[in-house]
Amino acid sequence: MVVPKVWVPEWNDWCPGCGNFGILNAEQQAITELGLTPEDVVVVSGIGCSGKTPHFFRLPISGVHTLHGRALTFATGIKLSNPELTVIVNGGDGDQLGIGVGHFVSAGRRNVDMLVILHDNGVYGLTKGQASPTLRRGEKTKSLPRPNVNDNVNPIALAISSGFTFVARSYAYDVKHLKELIKMGIKHKGLALIDVLQPCPTYNDIHTKEYFDKRVYKLDSDPSWDPVVRKPEEEGEKMSRAILKSLEWGEKIPIGLFYQNELVPPYEERIASNAPSYKERTPAKTKIEAEGKLLTLLDDILREKEI
Amino acid sequence: MRISWEIGGPQGTGVDTSANIFGAAIAAAGYYIYGNREYYSNIKGRHSYFNLTISDRRARSISSTVDILASFDAETVFQHFQEVKGVIIYHKGVKGTSIERVQSMEPEIQERLTHFLKSKGLGTTVADALKYAESKGVKLIELDYDEIVKKTADAVGVPMSVAERAKNTAAIAASYALLGLRKEYFMDAVKRTFKQETFVKINSIATELVMSTVKPMFQLRELPKTGKRIQVDGNTAVAMGKIYGGLSFQSYYPITPASDESVYIEAHQEVMALDPETGDKRKRPIVVVQAEDELAAINMASGAALTGVRSATATSGPGFSLMAEGIGWAGMNEVPVVITYYIRGGPSTGQPTRTSQADLLFAMNVSHGEFPRIVIASGDHVEAFQDAIWAFNLAERYQTPVIHLVEKAIANAYSIFDVSELKLDSLRAERGKLVESPDGEFKRFKFTEDGISPRVALGKAYVFYTGDEHNEIGHISEDSENRTKMYEKRIRKLDTADKEIPEEERLKVFGDQDAKVAVITWGSPKGSVLDAVEQLESEGTKVQVIQLRMFNPFPKSLTKKLLSGKEAIIDIEGNYEGQAGLVLKLNTGIEPTHHILKWNGRPMAWDEVYTGLKSVLNGQRRVILNGGA
Repeated sequence: MVVPKVWVPEWNDWCPGCGNFGILNAEQQAITELGLTPEDVVVVSGIGCSGKTPHFFRLPISGVHTLHGRALTFATGIKLSNPELTVIVNGGDGDQLGIGVGHFVSAGRRNVDMLVILHDNGVYGLTKGQASPTLRRGEKTKSLPRPNVNDNVNPIALAISSGFTFVARSYAYDVKHLKELIKMGIKHKGLALIDVLQPCPTYNDIHTKEYFDKRVYKLDSDPSWDPVVRKPEEEGEKMSRAILKSLEWGEKIPIGLFYQNELVPPYEERIASNAPSYKERTPAKTKIEAEGKLLTLLDDILREKEI
Repeated sequence: MRISWEIGGPQGTGVDTSANIFGAAIAAAGYYIYGNREYYSNIKGRHSYFNLTISDRRARSISSTVDILASFDAETVFQHFQEVKGVIIYHKGVKGTSIERVQSMEPEIQERLTHFLKSKGLGTTVADALKYAESKGVKLIELDYDEIVKKTADAVGVPMSVAERAKNTAAIAASYALLGLRKEYFMDAVKRTFKQETFVKINSIATELVMSTVKPMFQLRELPKTGKRIQVDGNTAVAMGKIYGGLSFQSYYPITPASDESVYIEAHQEVMALDPETGDKRKRPIVVVQAEDELAAINMASGAALTGVRSATATSGPGFSLMAEGIGWAGMNEVPVVITYYIRGGPSTGQPTRTSQADLLFAMNVSHGEFPRIVIASGDHVEAFQDAIWAFNLAERYQTPVIHLVEKAIANAYSIFDVSELKLDSLRAERGKLVESPDGEFKRFKFTEDGISPRVALGKAYVFYTGDEHNEIGHISEDSENRTKMYEKRIRKLDTADKEIPEEERLKVFGDQDAKVAVITWGSPKGSVLDAVEQLESEGTKVQVIQLRMFNPFPKSLTKKLLSGKEAIIDIEGNYEGQAGLVLKLNTGIEPTHHILKWNGRPMAWDEVYTGLKSVLNGQRRVILNGGA
């Protein structure tokens, strides 16, 4: 790995007080504390304020800043071709749950071993504050001409019902809490979601720092809260309990791990069960030519079609 | 020599299997086959048919006139009796069936046929259609399928319902008997197809019942076979080419007529390959992902390409429309990704199962903004295979999306050819400026003279990609000077490609160089055009044929040189606008003088192209072909 000689981090153009700073810091700390080599980390993002996350890293990770809503699709191609990479997707709630919600749901069905960090601020910040999919009906943030007429998406419930196998929520201003969850999410074998509650100081004048500070509480403050599925028969109960818990929103807002189930095989294992060679010779590790000579042998394939 | 054979019937009643058995038997006797499959966008019950050309050399086109028509139902007779010049094999039991009783037939067809038969002073039953054919010199072979099924069922001791498909075998057995070839080839093909003993018995008995009653009309003799031959359709040819070319990742969303390619690859998810270090044969995996839509399919493929692997997707028009967004990202980020584009009839859902060449300009201009889109087009199954590898080489050398055009008329048609034609040993991999072990600071979008920057797999260096305009590192930059330079760098790759790729590889020339008449064509009409021109030549009319194989970068100098001094330039293609002609004009200033066009969704048959060329040579400027049921 070659770290650029002259290390000039990109100038960060997020608004002062933006929750993204906390998310970025937590991600960097998590990567460092896990001892990951930055070369093995690929940060994939979509479009919106969160889309710029990879550019603002102060660690020499690689960044793939993709299309609006599509980060998960690129990430899937990257991870499946080179499973040795740690792939972290950053997307806003508009990105992941609006324009990209089809991919979000479909990614759950595949359970590829990646982490999705949802920058959840209730507004489309980069386009001046329109309502986003997590804003509740009747809420009127600063730049809305009228109160929001759409009901909101519940990211936790949607992720669980789509097949995500690690579903958590954190808060952008509790960097320590978020960092620990990110570490867990990276280590988790399968698709992980962390829904990060994030004030937008510029456009969301409802879900402010003050709003969240007095409402959020940690799920694990209740010692009986156990969101981990350890036996197949626990799945239904833990899933429904997590979804019920995710409906709690008002005076109290829970953060922490809602659901984890490592009994579901990640997509990589599903590929390997069809193609055992995938375990050792992943696409990125397999040479397909040597000095221009193609190495694939076509004899068997031709024989099938011989007439 | 060529014999045209056709078999039809309702979709889902074994027409495909029958055509395959028949084809396999003929192939075993040493003949080549080119077959086209026509079917409705439906699950079951609509009229589908195969049109096969039997030839003693590699066949490359279908005919619009049919030597032998094999049918079981009334609709097949109605849909095709006008095409037949030789023999109609039909079911005794449907003779009395009238057009209006065939509910699966579309009202437009019913109306047209009723009008036709009435204009000939005939009624509207199958018997009337047959009477008309007979008046044109067509021979009729009547089979009583009900009786054949009953006799077969009794002989094997199974219920009639189990022996139902004996009628399919009867129809092909009668066809085969007409050819005069040895029975063993047919019986072997039956045995290979039906593995269960009961079915082998049923079909063998049906074969015996029919063959003894049909006298040969064509005296075909067995031909010597040298070397290995394969029978593949276009989807399979591309899939095999991709696999040989090192495909390691393919994502797709189901769509006709593209998905068969991906399904084939999924069935061959592990392929044998040489390990370059040890020289041993070892399996390697190919990851195939059925995505949630085409947006995901193209982006997954791009993501995979960023890890340094050869990756691709396959789609058709509606899917390609969705891919426009992702192809733009791949262009901006200089991602070597291959999109196999199976063109079907548009716009919108259009005609999902019918062929078209209407998407050439769309493929060349897909997505907003300016960036190099390399577009190549295959004209037959051998090219489809080879071009799949070419596409990867171009994508990696010029680090940009490559769109490989293959139409439905190639995808769902099949041909038999010698394996040696694939020239496997001459096909090589060119991975361009892919850096295995980067050294020093890596600028993924480094400014270079040829516009091509060194590329590295994710995980091997600190690299950045963004759909925004970016600097050499890959970070966003809106600086005006960087914009001017980076924009130009991307597009300059096309100039580099234009300089590097020999123009002789971008087109193929056939026929007489000195001919005063030139034809330009591309894609699936190739075979029909060549057969038509060969016929004209045998009559003393010289025609030169230019088959365009790469549209971007366009082989400007060579086409200019080839077309200079021609008295007529005839553009033959499967769309309304004459799109390749427009591309020719844009690139060279030369405009076709005549057009032969077709957009009814059916492939061009060689004889209709021949007739079209005759009309053009007699002065007609624009000929519209409309053949095919």
